[in-house]
Amino acid sequence: MQVLSYDHLLPRVTKPARYTDGEWNAVHKDAASVRACFALVYPDVYEVGMSHLGLHILYHVLNSHQDYAAERAYAPWPDMADELRRSGLPLASLESRRPLRDFDVVGITLPYELTYTNVLGILDLAGIPVRAADRGPDAPLVIGGGPGAVNPEPMADFFDAILIGEGEEAILEIAEAVGSRSREAALDALARIPGVYVPSRYDVEFAGPGPRSRVTPRGEAPRRISRRVVSDLDRAPFPTRQIVPFLETVHSRATLEIMRGCSRGCRFCQAGGVYGPRRERSLETLLQQADEVIRATGYDEISLLAFTSPDHSQIEELVSQLVARFGRRGIGVALPSLRADTFSVSLANKIQEVRKTGLTFAPEAGSQRLRDVIRKQVSENDLFAAAEAAFSSGWTRLKLYFMIGLPTETDEDVEAIGDLVERLAAFARGVLGPRRGRLQIGVSIAGFVPKPHTPFQWEPQDEVETLQRKQRILQQRLRDRAVKLSWTDARVSALEAAISRGDRRVGQVIARAFRLGCRFDSWGEYFRFDLWQQAFAEAGIDLREYANARLGFDEPLAWDHVDCGDKSSLWREAERALAGAGE
Amino acid sequence: MAQVVCRYRKGEAVKWISHLDLKRTFERALRRAELPVELTQGHNPHLKLSFGPPLPLGATGDAELLAMHLQRPTPPDEVARRLNEQLPPGLEVVEAWLVPGHRKKETLGDVDVAEYVVAVRDGMEAEALRSRIEELLARDEIVVHRGGARPERTVNLRPFILSLRLEEAGEHEVRLHMRLRTGSHGGARPQEIVSALGLGSGELPARCHRVALYASAEAPAATSPSRRRRWARARGQEPRG
Repeated sequence: MQVLSYDHLLPRVTKPARYTDGEWNAVHKDAASVRACFALVYPDVYEVGMSHLGLHILYHVLNSHQDYAAERAYAPWPDMADELRRSGLPLASLESRRPLRDFDVVGITLPYELTYTNVLGILDLAGIPVRAADRGPDAPLVIGGGPGAVNPEPMADFFDAILIGEGEEAILEIAEAVGSRSREAALDALARIPGVYVPSRYDVEFAGPGPRSRVTPRGEAPRRISRRVVSDLDRAPFPTRQIVPFLETVHSRATLEIMRGCSRGCRFCQAGGVYGPRRERSLETLLQQADEVIRATGYDEISLLAFTSPDHSQIEELVSQLVARFGRRGIGVALPSLRADTFSVSLANKIQEVRKTGLTFAPEAGSQRLRDVIRKQVSENDLFAAAEAAFSSGWTRLKLYFMIGLPTETDEDVEAIGDLVERLAAFARGVLGPRRGRLQIGVSIAGFVPKPHTPFQWEPQDEVETLQRKQRILQQRLRDRAVKLSWTDARVSALEAAISRGDRRVGQVIARAFRLGCRFDSWGEYFRFDLWQQAFAEAGIDLREYANARLGFDEPLAWDHVDCGDKSSLWREAERALAGAGE
Repeated sequence: MAQVVCRYRKGEAVKWISHLDLKRTFERALRRAELPVELTQGHNPHLKLSFGPPLPLGATGDAELLAMHLQRPTPPDEVARRLNEQLPPGLEVVEAWLVPGHRKKETLGDVDVAEYVVAVRDGMEAEALRSRIEELLARDEIVVHRGGARPERTVNLRPFILSLRLEEAGEHEVRLHMRLRTGSHGGARPQEIVSALGLGSGELPARCHRVALYASAEAPAATSPSRRRRWARARGQEPRG
């Protein structure tokens, strides 16, 4: 068994602690004593990947089982990746420092389209053939999952299998299928597990340009792959011995998952179909888990994770009890997702009696008409009432999220964002009175991305130039000193849309982009749109066919073989959106 | 209120953990140990801890110091035992002692001398290196640039070098012993001395180990004889002037 040492490389790289392991609660199992070893991989840098709850849940489930072991790996930062290549060392896991290619399974989560070149980079650094078809009998099974898996096609060529849906529901079945079997036998067994997509068992017919692909099974593989869903969240396994990183990560705090899914039904958002249905953990379970996590980690903050934490039916009681229990010990409570209403502000008040860090609301659109189109159920009254409650109880900072390029959007709707922010700023100054000088409003503008399995999956994205023009409208409009405007690069949004609605042809583009040197695309300093354009051109594929095309109900979509609910009800929902648009 | 000082080891396994991350690691371990560490007042309460001078990234140490204020008296041995149960591999409290109650404002701020053994991957004749050390020590000024700070500063290292000698010179590695001034009144870093000697071609030393920390005779009067003895004990010999 090969154990690698990176010791001689570490003096040359930034933040060497990303590669050294030994964090509190990390699990070290003897590989010889188990039937299957998993390397669980997050395709971004350690600080981002360590903050992702999903892999921690799988790590916990696998390591709690006597027959299986799980270890971790993250995308080495470019300086470390270059050192590894120079020295000819393959990528190893953190815990046992064994090369990833020696594991039975390399499990890679797909959190976001712009991490996909990193997935290829990780496989390549690990010495595992990037294409599943090129892997020999001794190569590990490369299995994907996570949010991106609901359209597996752009990554289908690189994975032996992809799990659709919630991993803790299927991971032990997967481990059982893989344990001590030959590669082909394991793939057969995996294909029989509900929710597991084995891309090599399907034929793809390109039925037209863009996402118009038809994926059909060969042999016994299911025609549509169902999505695995945890039915009882309260009893679902949850890691309370959370790994405590040495480095400051994106979320260095104790995490409780209070709710999963969302019933709000915003038409641009995957949360309803892809993460649904909405399920809660009970007050008793959450209080017990809070005690356990704090005892096991020593964190000084507990974050209550949910798409919208105020939607939990017992949230007030939960927050009160947590504050009562932990406040005296200097342990805070954090609500990362609030609604734009007074209830949310009073909740935030409860947990932040002294520390007023800043509130974030997401109205998403500037005009009521457009908010109705996207079914974002926030009225201007809600927003102003929430702002009044916040600014009169000590907050001086507010962050607002908007999208541009939403279906039916006109320049007037874009102007309406500026108008809304200006009126909100003026209103806030009135409420703040003498403290008005401390007002800060962060306005964050993202480009709309049509996402699979949402009512807007057929809608075109604005062309890059249109998105940029709309950004300029806001840039010229919002000149208030207290307002700080930021936006997502329109080219990033375009790429996100093209991959999001991509098929296996886009997979070829991803492979080319990777060969051309693309990596860490979600990090501004590494985003190379010119190389992506070159990759599309070389593959003979037009990005706009994927991002900017309007698709029809009768046309096949590359992700139709993934069952995330009824396609015609999504279409009806889109029709309702557009029917109401003119009113 | 009681104050306990711990001397701890920072070993190979955690040598890449920065000082800031190390502080957080101790805070979390102390909370897991449920030791009654006092909290600061104010908006953002945190544990009342003070740390000795930071180790350079990549260095190990046997003489690292941590002081904590406890809400109620707890025997130092118990503090060490309970903390050790919660520390990750590579960190270990070696001894802990109670600070006498009449000196309430004590911190580790008057620790100002650090002793290192540094191994550098480089080959050099012992005699040649010895004379290079002599030359260096004979100078009045050894000026270096510190790029990290803005605006960039120049520092004269010479007054911060208390002693510097060659322990061993081999074909691939030379080992140096150095006693350097450290702390808030200025100091030198082992890496800077290595570079000033023209060794290691810019790479971090292969090994850098801090063997002792103490308050020098020139330190403020607040340094008590008992404490100097205590810190000296950490390095196994009496402090020198």
